[in-house]
Amino acid sequence: MDKLLLRLVSLLMPALQKTGVDTKQLYEILKVKLLMDGRRPHAMFAGRRKASTANGKASNPIMVSLVTVLMGIFLGVVLFLFKMPLVAQTVYFSMFMVLMALTLITDFTSVLLDVRDQYILLPRPVNDRTLALSRILHISIYVFRLAFLQGLAGIIIIGFTDGLLAVPLFVLQIIQATFLSILLVNVVYLVMMKLVSPQKFKDIISYIQIAFSVLIFGAYYLLPRLIDMSVLAKIDILHYTVSYFLPPVWIAAINEVLIHPPRATLLTSIAAIIGVTIPLAGLWLVASVLAPGFNKQLAIAATSDGNVNKPIAPGSVKKPKFNLIGRLANLVASDPVENAGFRITWKLAARIREFKIKVYPALVYVPIYFLYTTLSGKGNLDQRMYKIQHYPAYIILIYLSTFTISAILQNISFTEKYKPAWVYYALPITTPGKILSGMYKAIATLYYLPYCLVIGAVSIAIWGPQVINDLILAFFIGLTYGILMALFMVKGLPFSKPVLVKQSGGRIATSLVITGFVGIVGFGHYYLSKWETVIWILVPVSIALYCLMLYYYKRQTWENIELEEF
Amino acid sequence: MSEVPLIQIQNLSKSYGSKLVLKNLSLDIYPGQVIGYIGPNGAGKSTTVKILTGLIPDFEGEVLVDGISMQHDPQEIKKRIGYVPENAELYDVLTPMEYLDFVGKLYDMPEDQLHTRAGKLLTAFGLGNNKDDRMDTFSKGMKQKVLLISGIIHNPQIIILDEPLSGLDANAVIMIKELIMRLSQEGKTIFYCSHMMDVVEKVSDRILLINKGEIIADGTFESLKQSHADTLERVFAKLTGRNESDSETDAIINAFD
Repeated sequence: MDKLLLRLVSLLMPALQKTGVDTKQLYEILKVKLLMDGRRPHAMFAGRRKASTANGKASNPIMVSLVTVLMGIFLGVVLFLFKMPLVAQTVYFSMFMVLMALTLITDFTSVLLDVRDQYILLPRPVNDRTLALSRILHISIYVFRLAFLQGLAGIIIIGFTDGLLAVPLFVLQIIQATFLSILLVNVVYLVMMKLVSPQKFKDIISYIQIAFSVLIFGAYYLLPRLIDMSVLAKIDILHYTVSYFLPPVWIAAINEVLIHPPRATLLTSIAAIIGVTIPLAGLWLVASVLAPGFNKQLAIAATSDGNVNKPIAPGSVKKPKFNLIGRLANLVASDPVENAGFRITWKLAARIREFKIKVYPALVYVPIYFLYTTLSGKGNLDQRMYKIQHYPAYIILIYLSTFTISAILQNISFTEKYKPAWVYYALPITTPGKILSGMYKAIATLYYLPYCLVIGAVSIAIWGPQVINDLILAFFIGLTYGILMALFMVKGLPFSKPVLVKQSGGRIATSLVITGFVGIVGFGHYYLSKWETVIWILVPVSIALYCLMLYYYKRQTWENIELEEF
Repeated sequence: MSEVPLIQIQNLSKSYGSKLVLKNLSLDIYPGQVIGYIGPNGAGKSTTVKILTGLIPDFEGEVLVDGISMQHDPQEIKKRIGYVPENAELYDVLTPMEYLDFVGKLYDMPEDQLHTRAGKLLTAFGLGNNKDDRMDTFSKGMKQKVLLISGIIHNPQIIILDEPLSGLDANAVIMIKELIMRLSQEGKTIFYCSHMMDVVEKVSDRILLINKGEIIADGTFESLKQSHADTLERVFAKLTGRNESDSETDAIINAFD
């Protein structure tokens, strides 16, 4: 496919040559860039590609394409859903553009912000125009491949709903929508580049990725529960003239005017004209104004950072701020080695991007899943609410939240940059269990505890203060479960192993056994929850059990830890 | 040595925000010279190199290479320069052959010439067996060698080396040092930036010391030795203001008390 696209670009070459572009160089740059894209793992599905990263290979390009086509099918369904064709297309193109812009931002940014280009391409005799154009064409090739895969289902569906004539037009509409997405992304980039450094920008992007996967998960589970589809189908967003300012409407209007002329109004006709012209104008704007500015910004960002070593005036030592987490670390992990484990886990977990991308969505899944299970009952919202209040669902909620611990534990010892972990092996650490227990305490205090506090507060608000004993008991049982998981599942020190290490089948079975065990305990708790005193008696028992487990966990030796070769 | 300077830098200034990194730098470099360019961290060394290689397009003053102005026609200058950057930046998902093919074509080299030359150079640098392996598995020294090759593949007049020995083993270091001498005999001008004083001392026939954006010493090692101190290390320390006393090391030793 790349070769085909490259050949297509070659057709444009003679025309480009006249504008001062070195077409030979352009071709070489594009060829290499596409080659590298094929060898690079895709970031978009980072959270969901555990299986593919597990065996150390970049995710299969065909699989990625397949996922995109699948997304396209979901989008295409929208075209059937709505009664009014213009609305259907508007919604379709809104989703299409949002999805495309997000894919571009999340998946393509690392490619675009490749600062190596500054050292590899800039010292070579490549003129700015060639460089800028190579960048644009690189994006275009990427984008149109994406657009084609994503729009495939839509193209077929529109053939059925609107007749064959609509198909070529729809292709055109997709192209226009794509142009607009590019404009959108470009503007976002430029604004970001103006405001923040590339490093910071990458951070922001990882948050966008996290938000995106949460959004998809949430939408998938909750939207059907909250919205009545039959009402939605009749909705007419175009009832308001304001909505004609929305770009997807312009694109949708093209179809309305050309395929269903009788339905066309003055307003839709104007929108259609805008839909044809604005994307082209936008593309011109990107090519002539935004892209060169972008390159300049990138060059500045890449070349200036080495020179900002500010002289520090002697004696102007910063006053240490009151540091809550530091205090907490000293409180719960007083042993120096354990304290080190606590702090390193806390700092790295907060700063390693890939960890955040994998773990943060998991933190949101529990509430979403809980809402899903509680909302899926019969009756209206008040009835459901009444029902929830009269059975101890909070116990399920708090046991579900152990999921967060296991999500963190599964990822805590892995990172792509595992090399700095040599320090664990080089220093005279006799009981690595202390680092592990520090790590565990960090997870428990900084992720699980706040999480449970929030859930606890919500539970007390809904069910009243009599749930406190249940909350405490469940909290400690959750912690004990976490230790069991850590003991059997986490065989490495925090962030010390490359991501490609595979999880063995035996371990998954162990995990299931542990989870099953906690599930049984949870059900026991559920049935005992009627007798408040019993729960109160069990609380100290669970605390004692947790301390005992922690004691054993702390005594792990090097034999229990899988060493990495450096 | 020819009378016409190959590189002329006049009143070159560059600032980042309010911080002046280069202050009215003026410099003539003649063909065949090996320039050792030294200076403390943050003195403006990298900035000079980045301006010379066209990485930083906006600056004040004038940079002429072979009579061509950098502001006027940077592309023509870039053709004459081979640059080996300090931080081993290359596309490591490619193989050395793919990478060199790419770089060479950007210099508009014909494919057969490029491929034979790349093959010969890779073999000469001891990478003959790895030429079709992806570079993400390479050691730092191997990547550095590929980087060096990519800097000389188009047979440039001027070679700018920024800390080119990092990651190389002793034998490779000896080879590069010899290579620098040979290249200069061939009439190449070499601009060598490094913190390794002993190497600079040996390879360069003219040493430039930059401190706080200004060139504070310029001459052969011999002349610097006569006017300042007996090793380049000492010259460096003296001129960049490190006092002779042992106060720094004292402070370090005392920190254990």
